[in-house]
Amino acid sequence: MSEHVRGTNDEEFSVTSGSGQTSAATADADPADLTLDAKVAAAEVPPELLAQSLRQYLRAWWLRVRGGNSGVLPVILAIVVVAVSFQVANSKFLSAQNLVNLFEQSTVYMVLAMAEIFALLLGEIDLSVGLVMGFGSVVVAELVQPTGPGWPWWAAIIVGLLACSAIGAIQGTLVARLKMPSFIVTLGGLLILEGVSIIVLGGALVSIGNSRFTNEVVLYDIFWGRFDPVVSWILLAVLVGAAGTGLWLRDARKRRHGLEAPPRSLTAMKIVLIAVAGIALVAICNVNRAHSGTIEGVPYIIPIVLVVLAAWTVLLQRTRFGRYVYAIGGNAEAARRAGVSLPAVRIWGFILAALTSGIAGVLFASWQVSLTTNIIKTANSYVLLAVAAAVIGGTSLFGGRGKTIHGVLGGLVIGGIYNGLYLLGVSSQWIDVVVAAVLLAAATIDVLSRRGAPRQA
Amino acid sequence: MTTDPGETPAGTAGAGTADLTLDAKVAAADVPPELLAQSLAQYLRAWWLRVRGGNSGVLPVVLAIVVVAVVFEIITPEHAFLRPSNLVYIFGLSTVYMVLAMAETPVLLLAEVDLSVGAVALTGGVIAFKLVQQPGPDWPWWAAVLTGLVCCGAIGALQGTLTALLRIPSFIVTLGGFLLFSGILVVVLGGANGNVSVSTSHSNQRVIFYLVQGLIAPVAGWVALAVLVGAVGTALWRRAAARRRQGLTAPPVGLTAIRIALVALIGVGVLLICTVNRGTSLVKVQGVPWVIPIVLVVLGAWTLVLQRTRFGRYVYAIGGNPQAARRAGISLAAIRIWAFAWCSATAGLGGILLGSFFYGEYSTNTADPGQLVLYAIAAAVIGGVSLFGGRGKAIHGVLGGLLIGGIAYGVSLLNLGNLATPLEYILPGGVLLAAVLVDVVSRRGSGSVTRV
Repeated sequence: MSEHVRGTNDEEFSVTSGSGQTSAATADADPADLTLDAKVAAAEVPPELLAQSLRQYLRAWWLRVRGGNSGVLPVILAIVVVAVSFQVANSKFLSAQNLVNLFEQSTVYMVLAMAEIFALLLGEIDLSVGLVMGFGSVVVAELVQPTGPGWPWWAAIIVGLLACSAIGAIQGTLVARLKMPSFIVTLGGLLILEGVSIIVLGGALVSIGNSRFTNEVVLYDIFWGRFDPVVSWILLAVLVGAAGTGLWLRDARKRRHGLEAPPRSLTAMKIVLIAVAGIALVAICNVNRAHSGTIEGVPYIIPIVLVVLAAWTVLLQRTRFGRYVYAIGGNAEAARRAGVSLPAVRIWGFILAALTSGIAGVLFASWQVSLTTNIIKTANSYVLLAVAAAVIGGTSLFGGRGKTIHGVLGGLVIGGIYNGLYLLGVSSQWIDVVVAAVLLAAATIDVLSRRGAPRQA
Repeated sequence: MTTDPGETPAGTAGAGTADLTLDAKVAAADVPPELLAQSLAQYLRAWWLRVRGGNSGVLPVVLAIVVVAVVFEIITPEHAFLRPSNLVYIFGLSTVYMVLAMAETPVLLLAEVDLSVGAVALTGGVIAFKLVQQPGPDWPWWAAVLTGLVCCGAIGALQGTLTALLRIPSFIVTLGGFLLFSGILVVVLGGANGNVSVSTSHSNQRVIFYLVQGLIAPVAGWVALAVLVGAVGTALWRRAAARRRQGLTAPPVGLTAIRIALVALIGVGVLLICTVNRGTSLVKVQGVPWVIPIVLVVLGAWTLVLQRTRFGRYVYAIGGNPQAARRAGISLAAIRIWAFAWCSATAGLGGILLGSFFYGEYSTNTADPGQLVLYAIAAAVIGGVSLFGGRGKAIHGVLGGLLIGGIAYGVSLLNLGNLATPLEYILPGGVLLAAVLVDVVSRRGSGSVTRV
């Protein structure tokens, strides 16, 4: 697939050029700024690397957006549109009760989208993430059965994640070493996995809902458990404090060493934004959402998703492996000539995709409580949602562009659409139709924005 | 990547110098052997060299069919696999895979993929079935079938346009199409419990009901076979003769004769199997099912379109090297859109045949569109169509479909209990991976690969 995609891109490069667009966008700027702006737009570097003041930063950012490199802006707009339109259609949509429900539902889409992003960044695709998730959930649920192996919950999770990673390693090897197209390898892989999952299930219903067994309770609580409201606030304070100090210290150190750093006001704004988002989230989650009795507090899965997000963001943005992933996705041949081992990075990409799908599998098992053959089929259909969430979030289908956060935001859009349409009483087949339309729209935007963007040399 | 230099001399070690040049030329240029061979022996040697060079055509899938037939005949209880009644049933079961694989072929030839064929096929089938309902639209059967095919063609053209003009990757467009039409299908059927059926009590609906199961009387079958073999034989013979007369390259006379004999032999074999009474001594069931000539017509049409028309040549050209095709003046977008449109229209026919195979009833449980498309791609690739474009023929889809259907039915005969359902997924998945592996490895070994 990657060969094919690369070929088509070459075709486009010769036809389109973004040069007219850049000059038009900077026509009204003063000469000194013009150099800066043109430089930013042409080099496609993050604006904070060149901007010296908040104003310059914002202008550089706006130029990037106009140049097709819009980052998370479209998906945030999409979230706003989804929220407003469903709220207008049904006033329950933005109630605290429904929002927490929506967050919980979306977490599985988010984690699965984060898994898919590893494959997409490499310019590949993994169609098996849905079934790897299903397989992982079945393995974990089977291993803790007191009538069966009766393993402790942590051992079951570790083995489940290892099993998923092994599947990723096999598929990655077929793609990277034998040069088989990834979509066919993962298509065949998902068929085989579907069969294997049914065998592991043994034709019976496997449940983790029995409150008499501690191991099952822990697994159940991963999705359904929640922090006490007071603990939620304390955790938030610790988290915002840590993140804020970390950000501030990093930027201060950069400035001290004379490195390029974002303006001070921007760092402050970022910290404030994190704090506001966190406070809003905790406030919503701490509203009592039970019809009778009390259900309040932040669900465990929200920090779990944040941990996955943070881990994969650090891996992709701050490590050599992450840089290699982007390099291969941007131009595999160039990466190869620069000495990057393509097969090794690709195989690890597929392993990480499968591992993350396995994490989604643990959440999925906890969410569904009882696993059956039909649930496996449902899990399979999630791959479309994962690809859609990643692409809606802003990850490119052509490789080299995207971040882990895109999966989280895209997953929220998908979750919002599902939740909103369900609230309106729309039948599931029409929801599928809407999601398909959203996927196609996101892919079209991806293609068009690539076309409009100024090309790198 | 080039041909292993050690291989060509080894293969022709016993041949004279004159032959060596010929063989090397054939292997290097990757041309059909009949274009260079002057005698049957030369032809066979050239063909063998092509096979060794990775361009094995239908050979692997024919071997696989033989292996599957023999293995299942041995391991099924009472050795029931090769009974005439089962063989006819397998053909009916395989029909939808064959037709969908033929539908997928032109798209794969373009180095694209259509993941929506399953959902589109079912949508086309349901549309056609809906249109002959009484009370309801009550259209004549041919108008209903035609409308179903045209609707599917339009869907294909739409997907093709998104792929060809916007250059959105085809697997994403058709993944969206798959989801879209899986949903619309349920809506058209009238909800999750909806169904639509045709029965034999209306003369109009009867035609659609019998598309797969209807039988041609044995005598009529023999007459039709004689006419068919006569026509095909005459055409083949006259074409070769005409080419020879005008001094063009033509297959050796012996080869033409062997081909005609082979067509006649296969025809007689199929007819002999089909004329065995498959019912009881009271209710006789014998004769060729309608679906066999229908599949042959689709096969003939696709073979003609791909091998003998400008459109077909352009499809191969684009699949082989789109950049070269574009510079040669071919409109890539137009050919791609037409290929997607024809693919979906053919898929629609597959959907109508599927409903007919299930005794004229369509419900949401009739078939899983996701599984259908996997089987269709697997069938095409197993048959010998390359995933990388530019290589494959319609006949590959038919043979691959037969293999998939044979495996599926053989497994169902085995009384595996709990293992039967998982094997329905594992076997096609494994066969698909094996076929792609063979495709990839054979591409690597052959001299025609230009891409790394």
